[in-house]
Amino acid sequence: MRFAATGLALAFCLAAALTVLPPGVAQGSVVKVGAPGPLQLGVGQGILYGLQLAAGEINARGGILGRKLTVIPEDEAETPEVGIAAIRKLLEQDKVDVLIGGQTSGVTLAQLPHIARARVIYLGVGAASPLITEHVRRDYNTYKYIFRVSPLNSTYLGIGLADFLDEFVRGELKLTRIAILGENLIWVQGVLPALERRLAEKRGLEIVYKELFDVRITDFSPIFTKIRSSGAQFLVPIVSHASSDVMAKAFASLRMPIPWGGIDVKSQEGDHCEKLGGAPIGQIVLFGTPPLRVPLTPKTIPFFDKYVEKFRREPVYTSFGAYDALYIYKEAVERARSFDPERVIPQLERTNYIGTGARIAFDEAHDLRYGPGYARLHYVQWQDGCRRALIWPKEVATGRYVALPWMR
Amino acid sequence: MVDVLVLGAMQSAVYALLALGFTLIVGVGRLVNLAHGAFYAIGAYAAYTLVVVWKVPLLLGAAAAVLFTGVVGVGVERILIRPVRTSVMAVLILTLVFALLTEQLLYAAYGYTSRNIPAFTTATLQLFGVSVPGQRVVTFGVAAILVAALWVYVYHTPAGTAILAVAQDREAALYMGIDVDRVTRVTTGASAALAGAAGVLTSPLLVVSPHMWLLPLVKSFAIVILGGLGSIPGSLLASLVVGYAETAVSYFLTSALADLVPLLLILGMLLVRPTGLLGRHLEA
Repeated sequence: MRFAATGLALAFCLAAALTVLPPGVAQGSVVKVGAPGPLQLGVGQGILYGLQLAAGEINARGGILGRKLTVIPEDEAETPEVGIAAIRKLLEQDKVDVLIGGQTSGVTLAQLPHIARARVIYLGVGAASPLITEHVRRDYNTYKYIFRVSPLNSTYLGIGLADFLDEFVRGELKLTRIAILGENLIWVQGVLPALERRLAEKRGLEIVYKELFDVRITDFSPIFTKIRSSGAQFLVPIVSHASSDVMAKAFASLRMPIPWGGIDVKSQEGDHCEKLGGAPIGQIVLFGTPPLRVPLTPKTIPFFDKYVEKFRREPVYTSFGAYDALYIYKEAVERARSFDPERVIPQLERTNYIGTGARIAFDEAHDLRYGPGYARLHYVQWQDGCRRALIWPKEVATGRYVALPWMR
Repeated sequence: MVDVLVLGAMQSAVYALLALGFTLIVGVGRLVNLAHGAFYAIGAYAAYTLVVVWKVPLLLGAAAAVLFTGVVGVGVERILIRPVRTSVMAVLILTLVFALLTEQLLYAAYGYTSRNIPAFTTATLQLFGVSVPGQRVVTFGVAAILVAALWVYVYHTPAGTAILAVAQDREAALYMGIDVDRVTRVTTGASAALAGAAGVLTSPLLVVSPHMWLLPLVKSFAIVILGGLGSIPGSLLASLVVGYAETAVSYFLTSALADLVPLLLILGMLLVRPTGLLGRHLEA
């Protein structure tokens, strides 16, 4: 009789537990993580690898609320039509629980209505246009599913770049006349006004040349010839989708007599210099999280080492973002004790997560916070022998700025 | 202004190299060969494989890559084009399929990552006060030599006379005892080799990637239409027009409009003078 009572009590407790646990725990089904991105490119592969690394670790510890994770990649090929097809496939056919990825702002913007309609959480890790999160600000109820974990939006990139130009280029290198060379794409149109406004506030730097070029351009000679004759002392490239390999080759083969540095996403890849045949390019490259073994947070070096060991290559900025994004989602789901987006979103909004590169939190538009204590920008220079050194900010620098070989 | 003159000449040389092969095959073979861009890519990848992967010396590897591309061109003519050569549409489709197949095979074999071919020289030269990468000067020089050699071959040798005869009237040439198939084969091989040479010479300035075939094909098309179908002097002139126009637009206006130039030139030419700068009417 006593055993029967105990058994009954246990059965009751088990039944009670099942009623309060979220459906996913009882079902034991997998959590499908959709990974849209330009998978043929290093930045796209970075998304996939970052997610695979995080998913492997999370699965090894039992998954999220008892459910294991599976990552489903889908190529969006840097074009809106392919991007929409990819996102619809992930949403309608694969029925993913969460989307983590994206790299091209134009593609992400085209995907937003589909994501919002499906009411699936989207954690962006690659696209920088502020218009993406502006949707959340303007129409919260429709677009509240959208968050940006990385990179900093292009307005912040513009502000941060201007601060670097003022503090390092004007302050340290004593150069005051700059040329800006950007690709003619939507995210650059977000960077430029912020950059120019901030530079105007600083008052010490003069823009003597500015051009937005077509991403398909293959001959940079006329542009570099114009820059050379403009009297510019420092060149600021702002490119992500154009062939920065071709630009760097032209720069090196013309022995441009001015140092250069700015935003160049493809030159963030670890094999960029080798792809150029080891040409000395001296370029300074802006990073949110530099792909170097530098202890920006307690998680940076462990992540870096695990990534290199598993994939035999260095992480790119999307790798850091994707890895962090999956952990942020995990923590939000666990706090919500549910996979229901309506319950997870308030928890995501409360995110205060020490990531692999910085503390991650979101503003009211679900955008990554920028500033003291949060994400910041770092500047890495390609130096002789295809080595890279973090040269700015000074307090985390691993090396000093080195002049171009033909200017020494 | 001197900047535009020097840089435009460098760009025109590349276009001349690309377009001459295309004009040969259009004028002589009366074939619109959409595989021309693929030959450009094959040349570049062959050079990459030989020089970077197999460590063959650069000059030897580059020459072998051009030769290999010429052989591929002959093979394409023999296997794909000749059986269907009487049908313009069939030739168009088959050569386009060949180009797309080449792209996919290159993706499969080399992946999506762009590749690099070392430059023939890393020097920077000053021409009339303008800085020019040494590789561009090499490309200009080789292009000039190849164009001159082609000119001599076509206009001053018996084999060239046969080519011109076939270009003028295929049937009449046949009746005169000219081996028309052989002439077409040689022309296709030379055309492919010229495209391959363009690929080998320009790749050190650009990158080698599987989709690199399309833009050269479009540019070749534009130049050949502008110069007049089948006209070698016309193609040379059109190469200069397009090369200089693009450079001038990039220099004086904005590079964002440079790619519009050939399209606008074609449109204007088709409206004003449909036969092109130095072209003649082609009869089917």
